[in-house]
Amino acid sequence: MKVMVCLKQVPHQDARLDVKADGTWIQEDNIKFEINSYDTYAVEEALRLKDSAGAEVVVVSIGPDRVTQALRTALGMGADRAVHVNDPAALGADALGAAKILAAVAKAEGADLVFTGLMSDDGNSSAVPPMIAELLDMPSATGVLATEVSDGGVKVERELEGGALEVVEMPKPCLIAIQSGANQVRYASLKGIMQAKKKPVDVKTLADLGLADSASAAQNKTTIKKVYVPPKGDSAQILTGSTDEIVGQLVTKIKELGLL
Amino acid sequence: MGTILVVAEIQKGAIREASYELVAAARGVAEAGGHEVNGLVIGSGVGDLASQFASKGAGKTLVVDDAAAAHYNVQVWSKAIKAAAEKTGADLVLIANTPSGWDVAPRVAAGLDAAFVSDCIKVASGDGGFDFVRRIFNGKLDAQVSSTGRTVATLQPGAIAAYTGSSDGGTEALSADLSAKAKFVEVKASASTGVDLTKAEVIVSGGRGVGAPEKFPEVIKPLADALGGAMGASRPVVDAGWLDHPYQVGSSGQIVAPKLYIAAGISGAIQHLVGMKASNFIIAINKDPDAPIFEVADVGVVADLFDIVPALTEAVKAAKG
Repeated sequence: MKVMVCLKQVPHQDARLDVKADGTWIQEDNIKFEINSYDTYAVEEALRLKDSAGAEVVVVSIGPDRVTQALRTALGMGADRAVHVNDPAALGADALGAAKILAAVAKAEGADLVFTGLMSDDGNSSAVPPMIAELLDMPSATGVLATEVSDGGVKVERELEGGALEVVEMPKPCLIAIQSGANQVRYASLKGIMQAKKKPVDVKTLADLGLADSASAAQNKTTIKKVYVPPKGDSAQILTGSTDEIVGQLVTKIKELGLL
Repeated sequence: MGTILVVAEIQKGAIREASYELVAAARGVAEAGGHEVNGLVIGSGVGDLASQFASKGAGKTLVVDDAAAAHYNVQVWSKAIKAAAEKTGADLVLIANTPSGWDVAPRVAAGLDAAFVSDCIKVASGDGGFDFVRRIFNGKLDAQVSSTGRTVATLQPGAIAAYTGSSDGGTEALSADLSAKAKFVEVKASASTGVDLTKAEVIVSGGRGVGAPEKFPEVIKPLADALGGAMGASRPVVDAGWLDHPYQVGSSGQIVAPKLYIAAGISGAIQHLVGMKASNFIIAINKDPDAPIFEVADVGVVADLFDIVPALTEAVKAAKG
């Protein structure tokens, strides 16, 4: 069984978010990046299938040179191989462009299962995973908290609102977009990191995937015109002063509420 | 003149409020762009609901009424929505960003080779497409996004007030190939847990900023206890295994509205805000002055929670005598 995991490298959750000069995205120079948090759960879910059923785990990412670091981390956690789509024309491709690229990789790999995270911590679109499945005409499930793989197919539990779960059965091949918290993600061990240095990372261009004219940023159907700090509406009264003064004001407020 | 297709969602036998929010958004765009608004209802035995949708704002409504659609199924829904988009020649397809909406909408866009914009809080007619506003970086920034050509978009529930007017327009049956490889098995209700935050008068919740699991009993719980309240948490805390799911406040946890809600070290991702913004009074403590939690809070403190919370706990105890 071959399992492919799509992962995205995103700005670190604690990175400074400064809007870049042209106003269309954040300043990405000199900030820390990490594997998208949702995708770490997807990597873990795939590695559990490697541990329990001997699956081959291939991690795939699109992005510039820095993405190698994210792929090496996943290899250090235990993935077997990596595919890095590194092509200037693919930088800034929208969700549909990214989905076309990842679908082409999944097809070339002949993946039985495709795991992704539910969404990315930067764009928050949750768009790419179902698109990959649609392009490959395979069933998909998003927001998955539990996966049970058998010879015949996969049974998953999708998170609905208020803690309810929807149980869905799908034949292979299929795509599963993992919800955060689905498992406890392992760390890359020192031994794993050493071994990862010898594991193969295949670098591909859009032309290698037969997508030179169909999945580049030039084909985008959506454009980010502007990003900005949300306008402050009716926001909080910010308390100032020493710690004692602030605490005193809070106690006064709590008294006014009749709770003290 | 083009068409906007509004996809209704049925929950517990009724059309969801979020579907009428889509109608309001569609009518807003149609007014400026001169579009016709059409509805789509998918299900089994949903003729009456389709008539209701048609008369309460959606206008002419297509109905895919089929035993195969008795339960939500991503491929059935994707095929039905694509067929309705083709039939109406829709320029814009609007779907609510709910667990079924975010599951199916991207498939519809990819299948139609259309532009896709998700979880929007504003939508308007644009130049050669549509203009949207959406949150990115977990609510820390907003983005203006423009689409070109046919567009599929999901709207964040609660972002736009629901349409409350009426409309003319009957229903029309639509048949489509609804074959699917995925199979619905069941919906399991959330397990009863024993931690019922919805009854608490005061909730003190901690987020990722609390930093370590042992800090909850050491720092957060004592303040909750001093106020006679309950302890809660945001999703990242539960995902990390620091506290169990019953403590989670948010759209996928408990929806609460206590007299006083104190959020410590919680930045305020949308999924958390949905769960607590109806609270009577909200105090937020966070180091980041730009944290979205301050948008919904009544009173904010920009500081390290470890400076404020223990001191507040002592002051509350002292005030109680």
